[in-house]
Amino acid sequence: MTYILPYILMALAALGSIVAVYLAIIEKDLLKAALFSAIQSTLYALLYYLLMAPDIVLTYIPVAVGLYPAVLIFLIKKTERYEGES
Amino acid sequence: MRRILHVVIISSVIAFTVLAAYALCVGGLGYELPPIEPRTLAKIYLSTTFNPSLRILSAMAPEAVTAIVWDYRGLDTVFETTVLYLAIIASIAIMRGIEHHEPYDEKKGMSIIGKTATKIIVPFIVGVAGAIALHGHLTPGGGFQGGATAAVAPLLVLVIFSVYFLEGIGLTKNRALVLRSTGLLGVGITSFIVFMIALIKGFNAFILQNQPKPYSPIGLPYAFNGNIIGGTLLLFNISEMLAVAAGFTILFILLAIPEEKVKKVISSQGESHG
Repeated sequence: MTYILPYILMALAALGSIVAVYLAIIEKDLLKAALFSAIQSTLYALLYYLLMAPDIVLTYIPVAVGLYPAVLIFLIKKTERYEGES
Repeated sequence: MRRILHVVIISSVIAFTVLAAYALCVGGLGYELPPIEPRTLAKIYLSTTFNPSLRILSAMAPEAVTAIVWDYRGLDTVFETTVLYLAIIASIAIMRGIEHHEPYDEKKGMSIIGKTATKIIVPFIVGVAGAIALHGHLTPGGGFQGGATAAVAPLLVLVIFSVYFLEGIGLTKNRALVLRSTGLLGVGITSFIVFMIALIKGFNAFILQNQPKPYSPIGLPYAFNGNIIGGTLLLFNISEMLAVAAGFTILFILLAIPEEKVKKVISSQGESHG
């Protein structure tokens, strides 16, 4: 019965990442959108771990949770924080 | 308009989810994820990655992913390193001539709470990065993973303490560039090291060779003093970690230059060129 636990965790992480992606797309505040994107990356890192790809996890955590949101936040600071209404 | 947008986004997300789940459940990956039995291709690599009875095909490193990245397909990885190097060269070229120095004082940066927490965390990050890179040939990890993890440490210092602190302790853009070039030089030398040894000893050899291969009975020792070092893999991992960590540090130092400063230099360049 313990064998099913990774699959349940995978399903929950995948569903959570979908919610984070949706919020990142519709969010007008780009800083919040970058944070939602980082949440989605965290859940993906969990998925990669459960799919037994530890090398990918070790690349994904620093790049997608650390460096990539940092670059986005630097760029938002240099440009505009709010997406204009079209 | 906005309602239509929401409907499109939600329905495309649902469609993507259903299609991806369908592909994962009944696609070519099998009914179990992760599959219990490795596939035939994986079996070939797993049986040759560390196999002392089959020295002529083996990479002699227990970590199959690092062995594939730096030995089985080493040339691809050298080109990947080159792509990252060119991207950083391009950003340095765009930001050329822009220098901004200020002395660091306690008022700059974030609060004392953030600074104290960063002081505790940064040594751990560097330690983990070193462990990931130096054990890359034994456990999951490797040069790029270790370098990307190490790059988070200067990034944290840069954001929490300000870029002037980073320059104050000696990690300027030019020094990071020297570190990066040292790493790339290490990758280059390691690519040719077996070839050079063979040239001196009068054998044939291949570029990016690690262990003895057919027609080339020469290679680096896979163990040193009883510890497995995987031949060239350890040297590649150390060099790649230096190159990646210093490369990302250069990017963040360039991004941290204030925007008004950049605009002033770029507009004055435009005036002087016509």
